[in-house]
Amino acid sequence: MNLLTVSGLFTRALCWPVFFGLALACVAALANFGLLFLSGWLLAGAACAGAAGLAAQQAFNMMLPATGVRFFATLRIVTRYLERLVTHDASLRLTGRLRVWVYTKLAPLAPAGLTDKRGGDLLSRFVSDTDRVGQSYTETFIPFGRAILCGLAFALISGLFLKSAGLILALGLLVCTLPVLMSVGLLSAPRLRALTTQRGTFQAELADTLAGLGEYLTLGASEARIETLDSHQKTLQATERHLAALESGTRSLMTFIGLLTTLYVVMLAVRAFHQGTLSAPEIPMLALGCLAAFDVTQPLPAACQAFTRARIAAERLQTSCNAAPCVPAPTAPAPALHHLLDLIVRDISFRYPNTQHWVLEHASFTIHQGERVALVGSSGIGKSSLISLLSRFYPYQGGEITLGGQDLRHFSTEDLAKTLSVAAQDFHLFNGTIRDTLLLANPNADDTQMAEALSTVHLEEFVQHAPHGLDTLIGDEGLALSGGQARRLVLAQALLRNTPWLILDEPTEGLDQKTEYALMQGLISARPDATILCITHRRTLIPFMDRILTLAGGQICPAEEVP
Amino acid sequence: MHSKQPKNDWQTAGMARRAKGWLAGSVTLGGMAAVLFVLHLTLLAGLVDDLTFKGASFAAEQHTLLLLLACLGGSLFLQWLADMAGTEAGLRIAAHVRRDALRHLFRAGPVGCTTLPAGRILTTLTEGVDALEPYFAQYIPRAAMMVVLPLLILAMVFHLDGWSFVILACTGPLIPVFMALVGYSAQSIMDRQWMQLVVLGSSFLDSLRGLSTLRLLGQTEASISRMAAATNAHRASTLSVMKIAFLTSAVLEFFSSLSIALVAVVFGARLLSATVDFRSAFLVLLLAPEYFMPLRAFSASYHARQNATAAAARLADLFALPEMTQPESQPRLTHTRNHPIAHLICSDLTAGYPGQAPAFQALSCTLSRGSLTVITGESGAGKTTFLRLILGFLQPSSGQITACDTTGAPLEVWQSHTAWVPQRPVMTMGSIADTLRLAKPNATDAELHAAAQQADALEFIEALPQGFATSVGERGACLSGGQIKRLALARALLSNPDILCLDEPTSDLDPASALRVAHAIRCCSANRIVLVATHHADMVALADQCLHISDGHGELFSAPQRACA
Repeated sequence: MNLLTVSGLFTRALCWPVFFGLALACVAALANFGLLFLSGWLLAGAACAGAAGLAAQQAFNMMLPATGVRFFATLRIVTRYLERLVTHDASLRLTGRLRVWVYTKLAPLAPAGLTDKRGGDLLSRFVSDTDRVGQSYTETFIPFGRAILCGLAFALISGLFLKSAGLILALGLLVCTLPVLMSVGLLSAPRLRALTTQRGTFQAELADTLAGLGEYLTLGASEARIETLDSHQKTLQATERHLAALESGTRSLMTFIGLLTTLYVVMLAVRAFHQGTLSAPEIPMLALGCLAAFDVTQPLPAACQAFTRARIAAERLQTSCNAAPCVPAPTAPAPALHHLLDLIVRDISFRYPNTQHWVLEHASFTIHQGERVALVGSSGIGKSSLISLLSRFYPYQGGEITLGGQDLRHFSTEDLAKTLSVAAQDFHLFNGTIRDTLLLANPNADDTQMAEALSTVHLEEFVQHAPHGLDTLIGDEGLALSGGQARRLVLAQALLRNTPWLILDEPTEGLDQKTEYALMQGLISARPDATILCITHRRTLIPFMDRILTLAGGQICPAEEVP
Repeated sequence: MHSKQPKNDWQTAGMARRAKGWLAGSVTLGGMAAVLFVLHLTLLAGLVDDLTFKGASFAAEQHTLLLLLACLGGSLFLQWLADMAGTEAGLRIAAHVRRDALRHLFRAGPVGCTTLPAGRILTTLTEGVDALEPYFAQYIPRAAMMVVLPLLILAMVFHLDGWSFVILACTGPLIPVFMALVGYSAQSIMDRQWMQLVVLGSSFLDSLRGLSTLRLLGQTEASISRMAAATNAHRASTLSVMKIAFLTSAVLEFFSSLSIALVAVVFGARLLSATVDFRSAFLVLLLAPEYFMPLRAFSASYHARQNATAAAARLADLFALPEMTQPESQPRLTHTRNHPIAHLICSDLTAGYPGQAPAFQALSCTLSRGSLTVITGESGAGKTTFLRLILGFLQPSSGQITACDTTGAPLEVWQSHTAWVPQRPVMTMGSIADTLRLAKPNATDAELHAAAQQADALEFIEALPQGFATSVGERGACLSGGQIKRLALARALLSNPDILCLDEPTSDLDPASALRVAHAIRCCSANRIVLVATHHADMVALADQCLHISDGHGELFSAPQRACA
């Protein structure tokens, strides 16, 4: 797995569980082999002795092989159980390490590098890709490692009794493992790659359809659209059908090769028996051993496909993780900000990477420390883009922005977080309790501070009536809260951070006028000295502001004073 | 209008009915393969016995050899066919379910679909439906095989040896009992830890989704170590569940190992006293592992069942989305239109979304043919809601919209004469002509030209290197925002609608393009009712009348009274 070696994920700490898992898998396979091998000998030996008369019957030691059979049976039960436990543990460890590695690499890319232009769910793909690469240990490494090591052991053990039988078994296993799998690998690899792109296309088309549901309806094109998607699905399923046929076909072929090898071994054994170099009970023993040996090849076709899948996933992860961030990390530590935290935007031009449309063109404005400024403009005009620039999520192509007298390019998003708090509309709420959510914003906040922040945003009553107070779960993406509550919780987070700058995006949406008024009044009296930049459509918020900036046509229109 | 689905049709059993032929074929073929497989083992046992104890030479056994190979070959081929039939069943069911789900989503319409997050709908349709495939392709045939093969082997062993029959017949039924017992306790542990497992399991995705938020909070470094701790905790709790869950397969392993050992030892003693023949002993030893094989294969595909059940639940959510739109009337293009719609009368309209205060109440207005009406109001005031009512994506909670034609007669079906240009029009892959023909697949080139001309799009299309055959690129990447808007307008005009709705047609555009789009809209309002939701002053200036919505009330102003802007 190139990913595991390149990124140095496979460290000494992981060695132990990984190889212990393989060792257990091998012992389990050997115990299975031993069980059948010995059982075959026991039956044939007993039959021989039984046929040879009383003396031979008494001379035959039943105890030892019977104990051996029981030993192998017990060993098989115990090792198979432990094997599953240890390999799953190792697999989870690998996935965990990989996830942390991927996460560390992706963090500086957010959000610009994590948006999928074709509408597919890039983030879920990261999850399934890391899973796939992590599972490649149990799905690929173990079956192949076991097949090679145990195949050798089986051939050696058979070879001890009859050299040629051992050789033929080794040859049979080799034919099964190498050429068969190679050819299948070659046949299925391009199909698996095709499947990946076909899946991507299908998913993107599906996302487009869902986004344009209404328009397709009014165009009367919904049936045609379903037909288009259906044809994509047909291509996809044809590839899946091929892959299933290959996998199942190879498995059948391997079983057949297994029987051929067994028959050949039996022939050799019979010949050796007639020549007197092998005893009769050893014929069924070798035959059963041979059949049992081919058990280890059964999971290989699936493992072969799993390997290609994991490789594709690993390549995808590497491409995403090694992408250069669209805002390069500053090389020097962030300079100290001067005392007056004025924001000066001079002649700024901005467009999103790989687009032609200028969102901002030569825009200029200044916000002095302590000012409260409203930013207005119609939807989609670029207000949120401006916030993204101030958070250093995207680079600007022209002009200059300074904060506290320092060029903004010297700061990373994380550096700026010490000075700016942003309560954005698309803010993510993590699955957890209200307390967790607030502590995330300020890990040192105590209960009194939290209560204060919650009362400022008018959530105090809601929290008091919630079943577990501060420890109430807010659900995945805050779904247990209403839209307005979620937004106010985000506002409480911003307040708790106690930074000199507050950037708010529609902080009062979904509130009635009276509450809205009280909330804004509370907010301003809680943070009288904070510099506030507030995006809003609502005229009711304007009286709380000192100034209005209007964004239109990529420029900031002359500031008007609020009476 | 609301077609009733049988309630359990989206349960897995209902889906299985859709491909029962393939499933039955898979099970039958699998059964035949099993018979041949048992036959091949019998032949193999006979062969080894003959060679070892009867002193037969290898050459004399040629017929048995060939028969043996033929049996196994036939069995493997049949098994392959059975696998393919199972796969086919899975694929067919997935395709069916996906198509039905899409149809339902279209019936629910853009408003009906908002109750579920868009990402959730997408994953349900992709991964969710994919999860059904292995269930039908593997789980169901294996479940059937779990009954067929053991019974076959038991019948076989019954003929061979009484003792072995007793051993196998006793252990076989015990396995499911013990597995159920262990599985039950595993389930209860799982239930207890379920919340924790779900939270920890989804924490990676949650953290990825929230990466920008974490960066804004300055928590990037801290979140990495939290992430590591969460993956460790997830591993620990998963393993504590697995410790028990794996016991189910250990039970299986125990019984299968035990019965092989028992058969070997019991036979050994009797062979020694020469009371049984080697051939049956050897055959039973060959058969014993096969007796347990289907059970093992079945328990290995147990995950498939869990995933499919989860997917079925999510699909049920999707199919529970309310049907908000009228079903697409098939003869919409051939519909006779002797008299076009002259007036649209909205009386006492109240509309809103479930669980929210109504967007507006008692809104009444009359919209007439040949007029351009702009709808103004603050964001969230109800402009889009009003358009949705006209478009039929949402039904009013009270009041009604009636349409009447030029003779004054009320029309039954009028929504099919409506066209819409949304804020972000869909641009399919393909040429400009393909995109336009979405509205009218059989439109002639002349019709395309005319529509493009009306929408002020002809000039730029003809300036493109390949004209109407130019590829629009992914999501219209080769076109500017204004060009996309005019193209979408041309497409809307292609079916010559009586009512044309536009949602913020000039947002995102530079002033020059915005003005051009606004003039194009003005031009096409001559023979129809045009409704534009907008903030844009230029657009308002071109309108005949203005419907201003604020605080839940709507007021219609005529053009000179543009105080509403």
